[in-house]
Amino acid sequence: MGSVVAGNKGLTQMDVAAVLKSLEESGLATRIRDSVFLFPMIESTHVIGLALVFGTIAIIDLRLLGIASTQRSFRRMASDILKWTWGAFALTALTGSLMFITNASVYYHNVFFRMKMLLLVLTGINMLFFELTAGRTIHGWDQAPSAPRAGKAVAALSLAMWIGIICMGRLIGFTTSRATAVPPPPAGVNFDDFLQGTPKEH
Amino acid sequence: MVKQFAEWLSTTSPSVFIQNHNSWVIPAIQSVHIIGIAVVLGSVFMIYLRILGWAGMDQTLRQTTNRFGPWLNGGLYLMLATGVLMVIGEPVRELVTFSFWLKMFLVAVSTVFAVTFQISLRKHERRWEEILVKRRSIQGLAIVTFLIWVCIIILGRLIAYDHIWGPWSPATKA
Repeated sequence: MGSVVAGNKGLTQMDVAAVLKSLEESGLATRIRDSVFLFPMIESTHVIGLALVFGTIAIIDLRLLGIASTQRSFRRMASDILKWTWGAFALTALTGSLMFITNASVYYHNVFFRMKMLLLVLTGINMLFFELTAGRTIHGWDQAPSAPRAGKAVAALSLAMWIGIICMGRLIGFTTSRATAVPPPPAGVNFDDFLQGTPKEH
Repeated sequence: MVKQFAEWLSTTSPSVFIQNHNSWVIPAIQSVHIIGIAVVLGSVFMIYLRILGWAGMDQTLRQTTNRFGPWLNGGLYLMLATGVLMVIGEPVRELVTFSFWLKMFLVAVSTVFAVTFQISLRKHERRWEEILVKRRSIQGLAIVTFLIWVCIIILGRLIAYDHIWGPWSPATKA
């Protein structure tokens, strides 16, 4: 929204910086930073959540593609599984947000973080596309071994994008550092800058 | 002893290769390792949900394990392969930690559980479908084994933060 107001781009950038700073300085963020074990435990929970998200989404996508569970009703599987996917997604979103606020301005400017967020938005659009296409005719292919072409395309894209999200997530850990005050990289960042030298494990 | 082995391993040529390309090789291996754990956890999760009666009730227990068993095994081999590569690439970081060895112990425990379950299901299929799967003790055991997998994931991540174990961590003595 900020950029729509336009005319004063400098101000909006300052607003973003102020919001990020206030997130970092919040009591919750400080508490996580000050604790030896909170951040690792939040990160571990994030991994458990994402494993369940990707694991269960892959089951649905493979069903749509006609690779596995081809004998089962799609609707039955979706109602069995997707509620767990959403629960796990909520867990990952929550733990992800908690990690974000501990070092908000660094994550915000990290190229892999931005790519991950972009991919997350695209998986949402992909899901919406499914609802508007193959999702409308489920009664027609519910028992068929695979979905119509649009459903298959959505499933293949979903698998690819979720794998991308996992890789981006891991790269964020190597290109940001929680405790040290790393100055945010310049806006026009070069991808190769992050792929040189010894990565900092996190 | 472990430390000496880790230090020796880090001088071998496969290790040196990974170290020289670590800017992208290690994140890539770790990403595949995480994809592996997602396949493993997703598969065991569906089997546990079926045992607990919370999902997949249109399928028999045998149909459920036939569907997810091969993916579980495939995921485990993928994790083993990428895990070995991670140890070769960063021997000291991995091996000289408390988290790694506790994780390996739990992996051994859950492997024993999984193999016992598969053998028993094959031998006593009807008994499993009709009686055992409804037993509270079996359902409790399913929850416990799922929690072991959760602990395995936590310990995997804690390898990077082994200092939180304090005096138990060999890394803090280094």
